[in-house]
Amino acid sequence: MMKFIIRRLLSLIPTMFIIITLSFFLIHIAPGGPFSGEKKLPPHVLANILKKYHMDEPLGAQYLRYLNDVILHFDLGPSYRYEDQSVNGLISATMPRSIFLGFVSLLLSVALGGAAGIISALRQNKWQDYLSMSVAVIGISVPLFVIGPVIQLIFAMQLHWLPVTGWINSRAGWVTLIMPAVTLAFPYFAYIARLSRGSVLEVLRSDYIRTARAKGLKESVVIGKHVLKGAMLPVVSYLGPAFAGIITGSIVVETVFQIPGVGRIFVQSALNRDYTLIMGDIITYSAVLVFANFLVDVIYGFLDPRIAYK
Amino acid sequence: MATNAVNEFNQQVKPVSLWADAWKRLRKNRMSLFGLWVVGIYFLVALAAPILPLYDYTEQNLNHVNLPPSLKPAGVVAVAQEQKAIDQITDLVKNQGRADLQPNLDQKIAEMAQLQASLAADPTSNNVYIFGTDYLGRDMLSRVIYGGRISMMIGLVGTITAVLVGIIIGAIAGYAGGRLDNFLMRFVDIMYGLPYMLIVIILMSMVPQGTNSTVVLFVAIALVSWLTIARVVRGQIISLKNSEFVEAARSMGAGTGRIIFRHLLPNTLGVIIIFSTLQMPSFIMNESFLSFLGLGVSAPAASWGTLVSEGVQGMELYPWRLLVPAIAMTLFLFAMNFLGDGLRDALDPQSKNRA
Repeated sequence: MMKFIIRRLLSLIPTMFIIITLSFFLIHIAPGGPFSGEKKLPPHVLANILKKYHMDEPLGAQYLRYLNDVILHFDLGPSYRYEDQSVNGLISATMPRSIFLGFVSLLLSVALGGAAGIISALRQNKWQDYLSMSVAVIGISVPLFVIGPVIQLIFAMQLHWLPVTGWINSRAGWVTLIMPAVTLAFPYFAYIARLSRGSVLEVLRSDYIRTARAKGLKESVVIGKHVLKGAMLPVVSYLGPAFAGIITGSIVVETVFQIPGVGRIFVQSALNRDYTLIMGDIITYSAVLVFANFLVDVIYGFLDPRIAYK
Repeated sequence: MATNAVNEFNQQVKPVSLWADAWKRLRKNRMSLFGLWVVGIYFLVALAAPILPLYDYTEQNLNHVNLPPSLKPAGVVAVAQEQKAIDQITDLVKNQGRADLQPNLDQKIAEMAQLQASLAADPTSNNVYIFGTDYLGRDMLSRVIYGGRISMMIGLVGTITAVLVGIIIGAIAGYAGGRLDNFLMRFVDIMYGLPYMLIVIILMSMVPQGTNSTVVLFVAIALVSWLTIARVVRGQIISLKNSEFVEAARSMGAGTGRIIFRHLLPNTLGVIIIFSTLQMPSFIMNESFLSFLGLGVSAPAASWGTLVSEGVQGMELYPWRLLVPAIAMTLFLFAMNFLGDGLRDALDPQSKNRA
C-alpha cells in the first residue's frame, strides 16, 4: 500500500511538469499580449515594460526562468494587469474562499445526494424514489448559471429571505454562503443521487447481502454495514470528476454571486489577457485537481480490498 | 443473422435488426419518446427559422424596450406599461402626500403623449411579442430561436468532431496496441487530468479581439472533448479485436483498414450513438457557460448562454428576459438527457434498465 502511494505521488511530478510546459507555450504563441490593448504605448515605454517582465528575451530563456521560479521558489511572477501585485498574493488571497465554498458544496452534495440515492433505492418505485429522481433530473439538465440567478430571483429578490450577493463578512454573516453552496452542490447532488441509487440497487441483489440476511442479521445492520460499504465505491470514484466540476462550476457561481474567489480572478485574467495570472491560476487549479485525484485513489484503495496494488 | 432462422420449436422467426430492436424498446419508454419529440421540434424550428414569420432578432426598437410577454400588439402593451407607471406615481402624489413627485408625474404624462404619438406613426407598433422584448426592444421569441440555432449547432459540430477524432485515435490505439497505444493513452490521461473548461477558457482568451469567435469556440471545444470517446472506442476495439469474426476476416485476407472500419467500428456504433446524445447537452452547456462569462459567441450573434447572461441583468424588474431563454434551454437539455438515457437502455445489451 505504502509503495503504491509513493509511486502514485511520484507520477504527479511529470503531470505537473507537462501542465506547466503546455500552458506556458500555449499562452506565449498567442497573438497579442497584455500590453497590446486599445491604447498604443510609445515604443520606448513598451520596450521598458517588456524588459521589466523579461519578455524581450528569447522564448526558451523565458521558459527556463519561469520553470526555475515556479519549481524552486513557488513564485508565479508578478501580475501584468494588477500593478504591484504578485500572482502568488492574488491567488493566496482568493483561494481560501473558493476552497471553502467548494468543500462545503462537495460535502453537501455527497451527504444529501448519498442519502437521497439510498432512500430511493430502498423505497424503489415509491414516491420517495420518484421525488428524489425528479429533483436529480432537474439537477443534471439545468445549467448552474440558470439555477443561480433563478434562486436569486426567488429567494433574495421576491421573498427577501437571503442577501442577493456577497460573501461571508461580519455584517452579513454566514447566510451569504447558503445560496452559492446550494447552487454549486446541486448538479453533483443529482449525479451522486443517481449513482448511489443504482449501486445500492445492485448491491442489494448481490450474494453477500443474501448471506448477511440468511445469517439473521438485523435489517439495519445489513443496510448500514454491508450494503453501504459496497455501494459507496462508485460514489468515491466519482469524487474526482465531481471535484473537477466543482472547481470549474465555482467560476460561474462566483460570478453570479459576486464572490471574490479564484474563479472570478481567473475569468478577469482571461478577459484581460493577464498571462502570468492565467498561468498561475491554471497551475494552482491543476495542482489542486491532480492532488485531489490522488487522494481519491488512495481512499478508494482503503475502501475496496479487492484492488491489488501492483 | 441468417434469414431462415428458427427458434427452439423449429418455427421460422423473423430476424430483428439491432435498429428495429432498439426502436421497439425506445418506443416503450414514454419519457424518451417525449424527449425525441421535443428534440425533433427544436431542430425543425431551428432549421426553418429563416422562413418562419419572425421579427429580425437584431432589430432594435426603442419604443418597445422591455415589454412583458403578451398577445396584444406592442403599441398597446407599451402604453399600458407607461400608464401603470403614471398610476403608481399618481397614487403616491394623491394618497400618500408625496407632492414633491408632482414634476415627475408631469414629465411622465408628457412622455406618454410623446410615446402615443410616435407609436401611432410607427407601423411596427402592431408587432406582437409573445415572449416580450429585451433591453433594446428586440423580440425575445426570435432571439431565443436564433440563439438556439447557434447553441444547437455548436452542440452538433462539437459532438461530430469529438466523435470523429475520438473514433480515429481510439481505433488506432486499440488496434495497434503496444507502444503507440501506450503513448496515446498516456496523452489522454494527462489531458484528462487537466481541468477541461479551463483550457477552453485559455484558448478563448487567446483569440484576438474582433475575430469570429464562434469558429474558435467550435475548435476549442472539439479539441479537448474527444478524450472520452477515444477511451471508450479503444476499450471496445481491444475487447473485440481477438474475436472469431475478426480472425475470420483476417484469414480471408481483409486489410487492417477494412477490419477496423467494416468489422470493428460497426460493433461499437451503439456506444458511440449513446455517447453522442449524452455529449451534446454537455457541449451546449459548456458553450453557454463560456458565453455567460463573456468568452463565448460575440455580438450581434447570441447563444442561449448570452441571452441568459443578458437576462440576469435586470431580472428583478424584467424576469421574462431571464426566464424565456432559461426555460427554452432547460427544456431542450431535459429532452436530450431523456433521449440519451432511453437510447442507452435501448441499444446497450448490458443495460440494467432494459425491459
